[in-house]
Amino acid sequence: MSSVNGAVPTTIIVAGLALAGYALLMTALNRRMGLVLLAALGVLEILLLVLVGMVVAKLAGGERPASVATLIGYLIAMPFVPLVAGFWGAMERSRWGPAVIAVAGLVAAVLMVRLHEIWPVIGV
Amino acid sequence: MSEPAGSPEPGAARPDSTRTGPGRLLIAVYGLFALAATARAAVQIATKFDHAPVAYLLSAFAGVVYILATITLAVGSPAARRIAVVSCSVELIGVIAIGTWSVADPATFPDATVWSGYGSGYGFVPLVLPVFGLLWLRRWARRTDSQRTIVTSAGRRGTE
Repeated sequence: MSSVNGAVPTTIIVAGLALAGYALLMTALNRRMGLVLLAALGVLEILLLVLVGMVVAKLAGGERPASVATLIGYLIAMPFVPLVAGFWGAMERSRWGPAVIAVAGLVAAVLMVRLHEIWPVIGV
Repeated sequence: MSEPAGSPEPGAARPDSTRTGPGRLLIAVYGLFALAATARAAVQIATKFDHAPVAYLLSAFAGVVYILATITLAVGSPAARRIAVVSCSVELIGVIAIGTWSVADPATFPDATVWSGYGSGYGFVPLVLPVFGLLWLRRWARRTDSQRTIVTSAGRRGTE
């Protein structure tokens, strides 16, 4: 049983935590949402979509985790994390916009750990 | 970009509803938990209800409470805020009661719920979230009260 390359989930964890750290710094410095945060969210979105593609390819190859329903739920919900956070955070014209983005970064990192628990072939 | 001087923006300095300012963050986290708890309960009830019926029904109940809190915090009208206070209170009581129950009687909870172990499976966020929710709502209750006081005292002055 081959495993999904762990490089992408690991990159998502590092990127998510880095994004959360930077966003929290912006909150601490009382800054509003800026282009840097939106661009970082875009990068996170692309990474998540790449991972969804890799996992779907594995499912298409005939392999199955113990709970297919849970995995598919994660695959559907995952790409919405940066999107929804981006819209919700950009509507806020105060330091709390970046705080919302920090949550998205942390959630992306936690999702990778959960994905690995749901289906261990997805490396971390 | 810096704000033009001499044009104070009250909305930026002070949140003008329960969904702005810190409320924005609160609603984001509530929305996340609404989705996580509801989706998890739906999968568990649909696929293996007999395995741990109590845990799964409690998960579903928690999910509904989170949805209610998310929506009422986002709406922010006086009536919505009252429902939000009830939702947050139910959550706080729920996480403490179910947390204690799950520690005392682990056999009833072979599968974790959002509230078992005081929310330890979710970084104790379920325990902290209702506290912040209630503090945020209390600030709003006070602000509305003080506004009402200003209005009534102004009215009284007018009649004198």
